[in-house]
Amino acid sequence: MLLRHETVLLAVLVVELVFFGVAGRNFGTADNIANIVRHSVEIGLLALVMMPVVLAGGIDLSVGSTLGLCAVLFGKLWRDGGLPWEVAAVATLGIGAAAGGTNALLITALRLPPLIVTLGTYSLFRGLAEAITRGTDAFTRFPPSFLFLGTGRVAGIPAQAWIFALVAAAMWLLVHRTTFGRSWRAIGFAPEGARYAGLPVGRRLAFAHVLAGIVAALAAITYTARFGTAKADAGTGYELAAITAVVLGGTSIFGGVGSVHGTLLGVAAIAVLGNGLSRVPATMSNAGELSGLLTGMLLVLALAGGAVPKWFAERRPR
Amino acid sequence: MFRSFALFLCLGFVLLTGCSKSGPDTGASPSGGTPAGKRLTIAFMPKSKGNGYFVSCKQGADQAAKDLGAELIFDGPVSPDPAKQNEIIENWITLGVDVIAVACENKDGISTALKRAKDKGIKVVTFDSDAEPAARDFFVNQATPEGIGNALMDEAARLCGGTGEFAIITASLTAQNMIEWQKYIEARRMAKHPGMKMVALRPCDDLKDKAQAEATTLLGAYPDLKLLMNICSPAVPGAAEAVKQAGKAGKVKVIGLGLPNENRRYLKDGTTDTVILWKTVDLGYLTVQAAAALAKGELKAGATSFKGGKLGEFRIVGDNILLGEPFKFTKENIDQFDF
Amino acid sequence: MLKRHFREFSVLGVLLCVLALMGVFAPDFFAPQPLLSRLTAAAPKLVVACGIAVVMVGRQIDISVGSLFAVCSVVCGLVAAAKLPLPLAVASAVAAGAIGGALNGALVAGLRLPSIVVTLATMVTLREGLRLAQQGVFIDLPDGLQWIGLPMIGGQYLVCGIAITVLVAMAAVMRHLAIGRAVHAVGSDAEAARLAGIRPRLVTFGVFVLTGALTGLAAVMNVVQSPQVDPNTGRMLELEAIAAAVVGGVAVSGGRGNLGGVLVGFLLLACITPALTYIGVKPYWDKAIQGTVILLAVVADGLRNRKNGR
Repeated sequence: MLLRHETVLLAVLVVELVFFGVAGRNFGTADNIANIVRHSVEIGLLALVMMPVVLAGGIDLSVGSTLGLCAVLFGKLWRDGGLPWEVAAVATLGIGAAAGGTNALLITALRLPPLIVTLGTYSLFRGLAEAITRGTDAFTRFPPSFLFLGTGRVAGIPAQAWIFALVAAAMWLLVHRTTFGRSWRAIGFAPEGARYAGLPVGRRLAFAHVLAGIVAALAAITYTARFGTAKADAGTGYELAAITAVVLGGTSIFGGVGSVHGTLLGVAAIAVLGNGLSRVPATMSNAGELSGLLTGMLLVLALAGGAVPKWFAERRPR
Repeated sequence: MFRSFALFLCLGFVLLTGCSKSGPDTGASPSGGTPAGKRLTIAFMPKSKGNGYFVSCKQGADQAAKDLGAELIFDGPVSPDPAKQNEIIENWITLGVDVIAVACENKDGISTALKRAKDKGIKVVTFDSDAEPAARDFFVNQATPEGIGNALMDEAARLCGGTGEFAIITASLTAQNMIEWQKYIEARRMAKHPGMKMVALRPCDDLKDKAQAEATTLLGAYPDLKLLMNICSPAVPGAAEAVKQAGKAGKVKVIGLGLPNENRRYLKDGTTDTVILWKTVDLGYLTVQAAAALAKGELKAGATSFKGGKLGEFRIVGDNILLGEPFKFTKENIDQFDF
Repeated sequence: MLKRHFREFSVLGVLLCVLALMGVFAPDFFAPQPLLSRLTAAAPKLVVACGIAVVMVGRQIDISVGSLFAVCSVVCGLVAAAKLPLPLAVASAVAAGAIGGALNGALVAGLRLPSIVVTLATMVTLREGLRLAQQGVFIDLPDGLQWIGLPMIGGQYLVCGIAITVLVAMAAVMRHLAIGRAVHAVGSDAEAARLAGIRPRLVTFGVFVLTGALTGLAAVMNVVQSPQVDPNTGRMLELEAIAAAVVGGVAVSGGRGNLGGVLVGFLLLACITPALTYIGVKPYWDKAIQGTVILLAVVADGLRNRKNGR
């Protein structure tokens, strides 16, 4: 009998926690756990909304660039537009929705493959961020009330962790408890079948992409609040980190299979690995390289773990 | 399924809140001084890993750590994500290092993390490129952005005889320290060398091959170009190779910030005129020596000189430890250096 | 012809427009020697794009080519720097590429894992492994390696010639040989291909090995253009190659695409950045324009599909 992917991943996470708890220096302290959470909120948010897109059989390579564009426009609205940061933040969410809407329009109305469309907008959104700031302009000196979102704590827990938990819970309900989630699953499993079954395939796909844009904008806000500076290079490479977490979390890249809690476990497994390696004396000077290397291997192992028994089963004489 | 999700959320919150009582047991002592007998932990961060410049800094840093018997952690971003330096510093704070030495990618961004480290009693030294002064104790100053900008612009004007077109090849448009250098290059040009004209700025993603391609395009697009100024180290040999292949060696001058070994052949055959840099191995060595002295309480604010191990005395001006002037590598002196 | 290859011709139209604009506003763009140098510098990318196109026709994808390119460059450089004979340096780079491709192929075809995930994993693993091993230090090459000992012009023609030969050979194989047809068949419908007597998994494995070997060859074509190897090379190469293929009309969903389209797509993307430099556009517009061109190329196709009600 095959174990559920999420269970295996949970075991991996527990092994990581135990191993680093023993071998890592000051790994299990509250401050360090808070660090792990704070540093993975942005990639976690992107992974949470990448998940439905992938579940429905698509992909979104533009989320990192959307983050960069939104960070820059947020800064622009607040500093040059003179808006209070709260208003600028809401407007930024709208900009994120527009960015996601651009993807959605091209993908659903013109029936173009999401990989190509988002490869184009990956370049376009980052390019707009660079063009708006000429590459050089940086937005900084945000008010403390805003920076609190990224550096403060509420009830002992990092402020942005609450935002993340809220989004995670909402996404869980949306994917696992509503017709939206079921239709994404159906579309990913068999797009034509879903169409014949009367599902509004285009609208459901569009919704997933717009959602991705909005949450990428939210990630832009927590990123800026944590780092204190918004520049055109914010979020570079985050799309791949998010996809890695989603796939490690057991969502099939072909769509149709996946869970939100799996994605959360994927985010956690990668974040704990990276943090833990920087605390074990033998690896602390190569933590950056090793965490990339081991994440890659973990990804293959996680997938192969499911595939190897199948491979043997096929070869068993019937 | 809901149960597993709820379980996971609970686990997360238990981890977050439950651990708060088990505080660090080997953390840095808040007073800043380190008890005698305990091995000193020095964390040393380059702007990015996998970069020849910082590899040579690391050589010196390793040597100094060995001389001092200290533990050296060398880690930095492998991706071009500017927030990554902050994450690593925040991790080092909870790891409980005694002193942090960092080459800052983004002055504004990193200072918040460094201030937090200082609040926790960790000493902070910057090298290569500074943070905000309030965020660190000392800056091991090999050259200020202004010094670098002036040196590059003056050298360019000297080679071109004060007039002519030049182009700049940079790593990326968004790299904070290069933006700052460009600012001072432009200020110097306006003030001292109005005959010089900057016609183009091109990014090369910190890749030699891309710099070569960009330089080839620039040479074709601007036939009157007299000089290529390369402000990231892989771009200097890349641009030199392009100039050489275009048959414009000598006609189009090449200068920049780079490593002697990467530019040796071009300096020798005359394609590259001047490479400006400092002794990077010494920079790494001095930084670690200063970091250690600071953590032990031997180096204090207000000091006017500092003995950097085997390298001897260094002058301190304000809170800057001066490594010495930037060095100009040319055809004549290049053979004395190997890094 | 026009109807069947609408995408290819529409991209060709955009390319010709760009070139015509350059002819009017910056005729220097076509000065022969700089043009040859630019094409030579870009030629390795075309070879990688050919490999990617074949992978995509077979309904897979390979995003590890950039990292593999760097590994092959370093292998080539280290062998050459050890004063071993030149053919051995070339062969070891191609072999390293083929081995990397075989690793991808074994995981994708053997274990039936999704190629985008497998190659995402090999992408980071190879890149970080290389960083650990080489730390970004340049490799100095012996004198005879640059342009394989030829004069520069000869070397440039050789590099461009190899790229064109690879393109033509791959086009011929994909169009006329049974194995090329098999890739198309597997990409269109693996199950139907199997029933027709093709072994889809063997074909998929072979396609990855081929792409790896082509990446190794491309690395050599790049290494010979300068006397040093930068181990960070090839970053983002996978995206450039995929973009060239998709702009040139290769379908992500497999089964469709021809190498003439890849050539046009490659030329269009390769000429935009230099063209912007020639007409003096500020560099911060580069990415936005690049992205717009990619989108325009596919939107034309999408509008047409919509009209035809497909």
